[in-house]
Amino acid sequence: MISVTFGDKVKIGLQYILETLHGCSPFGIERIRRLKFYTPEEREALEEELYNVEGLYRHADELKSAMDKTVILLCQMKDIRNSFRRCAAGEIPDHVELFEMKGFLRRLEGILPLFEEMNEKVAFRGLSFHAPKEALAVLDPDGTGSRGFYIPDSATPKLREIRAAKKKVEEKLFHAATDAEKDELRIERTRICAEEDSEETKVRAMMGAALAPMVEDILADAENVGRLDFMIQKALFAVRYGGVRPEITDGALELVDMVNPEIVDLLSEQRRTFVPVSISLDRGATVITGANMGGKSVAMKTVALNALLFQAGFLVCAREAKMPLFCSVKMLFDDLQSIQSGLSGFGSEIVHFQKALDEVEQGYSLFLLDEFARGTNPDEGAVIVQAVTKYLGDVNAISLLTTHYDKVAEHAAAHYQIIGLRDIDPEAIRRELAHTTEDGVHVIARHMNYGLYRVVGKSDCPRDALNICRMLSLKEEILSKIEEQY
Amino acid sequence: MKQELLKQLHSVKTMSIVGMCKNAGKTTMLNWMLSNMDNRVLGLTSIGRDGESTDVVTGTEKPGIFVQEGTLIATAKDMLRLGDVTKEILMTTGIPTPLGEVVIMRARSAGHVQLAGPSITTQLQEVSRAFFELGAEQSIIDGALGRKSLGARTVAEGVVLCTGASYHMSMEKVVADTAYIYRLMNIPKAETIPTIGESLEVDFKANGEALVSGALTDTMVLPLLKSGVLRKGRLVVRDPSKILLTPDTLDKLEVREVKLQTEQAAKTLCVTVNPFSAYGWHFDKDAFMAKMKDAIDAPVINVREEMV
Repeated sequence: MISVTFGDKVKIGLQYILETLHGCSPFGIERIRRLKFYTPEEREALEEELYNVEGLYRHADELKSAMDKTVILLCQMKDIRNSFRRCAAGEIPDHVELFEMKGFLRRLEGILPLFEEMNEKVAFRGLSFHAPKEALAVLDPDGTGSRGFYIPDSATPKLREIRAAKKKVEEKLFHAATDAEKDELRIERTRICAEEDSEETKVRAMMGAALAPMVEDILADAENVGRLDFMIQKALFAVRYGGVRPEITDGALELVDMVNPEIVDLLSEQRRTFVPVSISLDRGATVITGANMGGKSVAMKTVALNALLFQAGFLVCAREAKMPLFCSVKMLFDDLQSIQSGLSGFGSEIVHFQKALDEVEQGYSLFLLDEFARGTNPDEGAVIVQAVTKYLGDVNAISLLTTHYDKVAEHAAAHYQIIGLRDIDPEAIRRELAHTTEDGVHVIARHMNYGLYRVVGKSDCPRDALNICRMLSLKEEILSKIEEQY
Repeated sequence: MKQELLKQLHSVKTMSIVGMCKNAGKTTMLNWMLSNMDNRVLGLTSIGRDGESTDVVTGTEKPGIFVQEGTLIATAKDMLRLGDVTKEILMTTGIPTPLGEVVIMRARSAGHVQLAGPSITTQLQEVSRAFFELGAEQSIIDGALGRKSLGARTVAEGVVLCTGASYHMSMEKVVADTAYIYRLMNIPKAETIPTIGESLEVDFKANGEALVSGALTDTMVLPLLKSGVLRKGRLVVRDPSKILLTPDTLDKLEVREVKLQTEQAAKTLCVTVNPFSAYGWHFDKDAFMAKMKDAIDAPVINVREEMV
């Protein structure tokens, strides 16, 4: 089963996405808050969900008004499942519970024609509702269609009698002349009020009992209201950031022009654009190398994000996608620190790695290692990462590593490199820097190409670090000494 | 008298009934209004919990609140079963109280109700709004006691101030303190609100007016009176509950022609008096009425005689 910690959700930008969703009904909000990932065994249900979400997304323009109206009704819904469950258990609902149940059913009744309108375009799979008419008739026996809840006089003949008597005694009270007379009438009134209360209690018990056999259907409807709510939010999310329904594969993962919405928004605030990244992964280890600040981690996080979105039933943020279903998704980021355990950064990294690896080996998984073992000395670190890469080559998982270390890629099944500053003339940037007061790091970041390219065969060690030194006009004596060593 | 008073009371859309003390006759006043509603639909709620049938402090038997058919009532869910009206639940407000969510119902018969409404100003305004949406013509808030009631201006256009012998053994003190609260309650609404600058002193020197955003106290005002800064101008406060000046200081400000104004407008519709105290003593009703009428320029009513 996939489980992702809150911290990881934040790091890969999943939490950001969840916070942009506006679940309306308590049932939908619950689904978003307790996000569930479909397991490989639930593939059919996932396909159904994706089909439904895609349908809503494709018809989002035509269905805008229906979706808006549905959302308004969803917002007014309350979580009354416990009141219904109490009815099913034979308990007597009170006035306010009956009011709330009626409110729920009325809103559900309002949603049904809107759902039908959507259904005509989308042809939902595995999503339907029961007509609440019968249950509403129990709570509104006179069929007034009113918003409030009231036990009408007609509920039982006895209630009618009692209420008439109550009215009469009040009139008498109004006209009573002496205090003695008033006192007597007040006592009479109290007796009648008690009778009314006990008769109303009987009626409430009858209503509860009449609802009891329908409770199962109503609870299923509440569940489906939550699903519909979430589907609408997923479709609107796809409208905002683009989305594609992935083709489900048995192992390989291919994402063409994937984006990470959080970073898209962040960059657009700085009037920059996110460069979509494409990657193709398969069973075994894949390594991403590249310059500092080149976006290796972003690429990796975006893979994780899309894998999780997909398994939560979202359309994924890419132009094209082929994806398998994973038993688990594990990620280890370079900023791991475990102060509590008293271990060093490196020590805790190894502990976490062990734990994650145990889970990864339970079934086909996605395993992401960001700058693994960077907290130790580079010679040892390189050896460790090379060994890990070699080992992961035989694990039943897609493993993706970003690294700085030399000769790791040789042990991997595939090797990607950040395009980075490959196609940039360092001399041009140096000249630009000489004429601007802008921070040099920002200028380089602007020229950085965050795209990935697949390295075929043996690759040279990337020269970006040296390039960056040149651009930032590092002391000439040092530069020449570096060049001697290259 | 009665017709005139009712006209006065009906002239505002929202009204709150506030007391100087317990057993001032708030509920008597409220019941009198409820029984004279002339087929108008009223919305009724309280600031917090009120309307217990025996006063928990003094053990005095207290009148319950008795509403006419058709009245809208906003009260906490747990209070519903303590009333004996036939209920139609109209709305749940989502406003929490220790006694459950505040629910709005319509009385489908006359009967007793127990009130426990919201205790926050914005929530009271929300409830009033809901009353009008549901068809009420007037919203009545059974208000708070003493100084706290000065905040009632923010939720109601009109205020009924209830006072009585229970407030203090000395009739002079009851009259003086009631007059003081009345005076604060009727501080006029500011036509324009000055902007807040550096300090009270600087603002007043520069513009002859100042907005006091927090409380206005003697320690702020007296030095400025002594130094002669406060002279001919106006001081604006957010609402009367922010004025913590002694009656003496109020007088001094008046002499210096410094006007006090507030952002919120409300008027005191009438003052009710109860010459009987819950603690055993009582005042001479005629002398009490006469003194109160002298001190206050709004209608003064004896709840014991004119409202039973």
